[in-house]
Amino acid sequence: MAVRTETASLRRPSPALRWVRENLFNNWYNSVLTVIFGALFIWVGFSLLRWVFFRAEWEIVRVNLTLFMVGRFPRDELARIWVSNYMIVGAIGLMAGAATASAAAAAKEAGLPFVQSKLQDLIQRFWPVLLLVAALLQFSRTWTPTIMTVGMVVIGVAARFAGLHLPRVIRRYAWVLVALLLIGAYGALVWFGGFGWDDWGGLHLTLFVTVAGIILAFPLGLLFALGRRSTLPLVRLLSVTYIEFIRGVPLITLLLMGAFALKFLLPPGMDLSLVSRLVVAIMLFTAAYVAENVRGGLQAVPKGQTEAGQALGLPAWKVMRLIVLPQALRAVIPAMVGQFISLFKDTSLLVVVGVFELLAVSSIANNQPEFLGKGLAEVTLPFVAVIYWVGAYTMSRESRRLEKKLGVGER
Amino acid sequence: MTQNNVYSDATQARGDVIIEVQGVDKFFGDFQALKNINLNVGKQEVIVVMGPSGSGKSTLIRCINRLEKHDAGRIVVDGVELSDDIRNIQEIRRETGMVFQQFNLFPHLTVLDNITLAPRQVRNMPKNEAEEMAMLQLERVKIPEQAHKYPGQLSGGQQQRVAIARSLAMQPKVMLFDEPTSALDPEMIKEVLDAMQELAESGMTMIVVTHEMGFARAVANRVLFMADGEVVEVGTPQHIFENPDEDRTKLFLSQIL
Ligand SMILES: Nc1ncnc2c1ncn2[C@@H]1O[C@H](COP(=O)(O)OP(=O)(O)O)[C@@H](O)[C@H]1O
Ligand SMILES: [Mg+2]
Repeated sequence: MAVRTETASLRRPSPALRWVRENLFNNWYNSVLTVIFGALFIWVGFSLLRWVFFRAEWEIVRVNLTLFMVGRFPRDELARIWVSNYMIVGAIGLMAGAATASAAAAAKEAGLPFVQSKLQDLIQRFWPVLLLVAALLQFSRTWTPTIMTVGMVVIGVAARFAGLHLPRVIRRYAWVLVALLLIGAYGALVWFGGFGWDDWGGLHLTLFVTVAGIILAFPLGLLFALGRRSTLPLVRLLSVTYIEFIRGVPLITLLLMGAFALKFLLPPGMDLSLVSRLVVAIMLFTAAYVAENVRGGLQAVPKGQTEAGQALGLPAWKVMRLIVLPQALRAVIPAMVGQFISLFKDTSLLVVVGVFELLAVSSIANNQPEFLGKGLAEVTLPFVAVIYWVGAYTMSRESRRLEKKLGVGER
Repeated sequence: MTQNNVYSDATQARGDVIIEVQGVDKFFGDFQALKNINLNVGKQEVIVVMGPSGSGKSTLIRCINRLEKHDAGRIVVDGVELSDDIRNIQEIRRETGMVFQQFNLFPHLTVLDNITLAPRQVRNMPKNEAEEMAMLQLERVKIPEQAHKYPGQLSGGQQQRVAIARSLAMQPKVMLFDEPTSALDPEMIKEVLDAMQELAESGMTMIVVTHEMGFARAVANRVLFMADGEVVEVGTPQHIFENPDEDRTKLFLSQIL
């Protein structure tokens, strides 16, 4: 008996093999499909790898790498961009460190376990970004970017360490330091004979317009969402009119207006640069959608929550800020991040009004004498597409992570 | 006031009056939910409100802390008359705790933060002090060990006790309960009623909408029976349960027993 059961268990296929049999080859037509799609998959993968590593002529990207990254930013002033990046990385590191330290302290006070995130988690979260940076660095023909990038990593790690070990009293004001660093990051580009937005370009400008658009559109959208629920009829009417007007107009129309019409709407003395007018247009556009998302979240919060807050004697604005909004915003994180991902991708529309952002660089590169007429859009467009994908995919994954993390109360 | 007339005796509050409801009407559109309600509640008194569904019990106690606005009559709580003045309303809400059928805990905050929120935000109490006081309230309802959990991680009975602790943290003079045990599984009703009974014994003034007869008999000074937006009768628990004057009361009691 014992011998028999032993042989039976020996013959039992491994779990992986069983999964394959149960899911891929469980009947004849599924088996056929598996074979066909398997072959297709292998062929596409093979062709893609062959193209990337042997066929594609990456020369156009190598030669124009700086152009893709920063557009026409003066080449002898590139140090400004690195300094700016250092400050941004420093700010992020400091914030991450201080936040971790606060969370750990809170957990300790509450007597709860606290798991600090490991390097492995970071790699898992940001592998597309890391791969992209590695790819960009190998395109570079000098060592400077690699050295500078290593410098950024070092500064980021150091800032995080500093944030973790700040004395408690100072840690509470870490955000002031973070804000100063971010202002400094902007100033490094603009102050002391620096360059305004209209001289920025490439991926740098794309990222800036995205971040600026999000930072401006979010509070404005929030205001319109609250306005739409206001008890004052005039405020409500204004909000509804704004939201419905913007949602009825294509973004490209607003961008063209920003480029060519807004100038005449501005009062004489006031002169906004082209890029600022476009950022305003993007902000106005996104805010309307953010407002609708937030409104959905507000409606999803049960009335009992407001009543409980009121019954405790909290004034209306505190009920909104401390009880209703946190729950409403949490409920709409996926929708809102989706909106921000759209914003990120839609910055490519700026190419139409002659702004030097990432997509524009690809056509400029293709029109350079040495590359003209060689059909190299088949190289530059996939290159640009991958950069957009990395950004969009990372935002989407981070949103899911945030959602899960905040969902702790819903259990 | 004659001693043998239990009814007229029990319609009146004993001692100092802390809640006065005089001639209150409430309309939802054309529908009249409260019809000329009169009720005086004395300090440390416990009033149980009963009546069929839709009779206006919730509306009555929600008018007392202005979750609903009454359309006629006067409501005075601890010497402050409810008016459209938001400061009056806030003052009364600070003095009046409310416990809801659906608990209405804040799901995004821990139990401790649920309790400290109002003392810190309304009374400007420092964090440490608020947390100490919150722990005292949690001990009072016998769940201090749940302080750092989220509401969603607790049973219904525990959630309702947190809701009671949350109200008590504002040190109210009056507590309003709207069917606090109706959403609970039977095995959890007792723990909540016990907490309420202890609260009553500590001298809290309470208006409790509930159909728990045992609780009413043990704790209530007076039982108020409502139907169709009216107070049908008021009396001691014995009087209302054993010898009611009105047919509507008799019918209702025969249905819930
Ligand atoms: N916000 C409201 N709008 C319209 N009608 C309401 C509203 N709230 C309560 N009512 C009506 O008022 C009556 C009394 O309701 P309520 O006080 O909740 O009764 P009870 O608590 O005794 O069951 C019911 O008929 C109910 O439908
Ligand atoms: Mg009710």
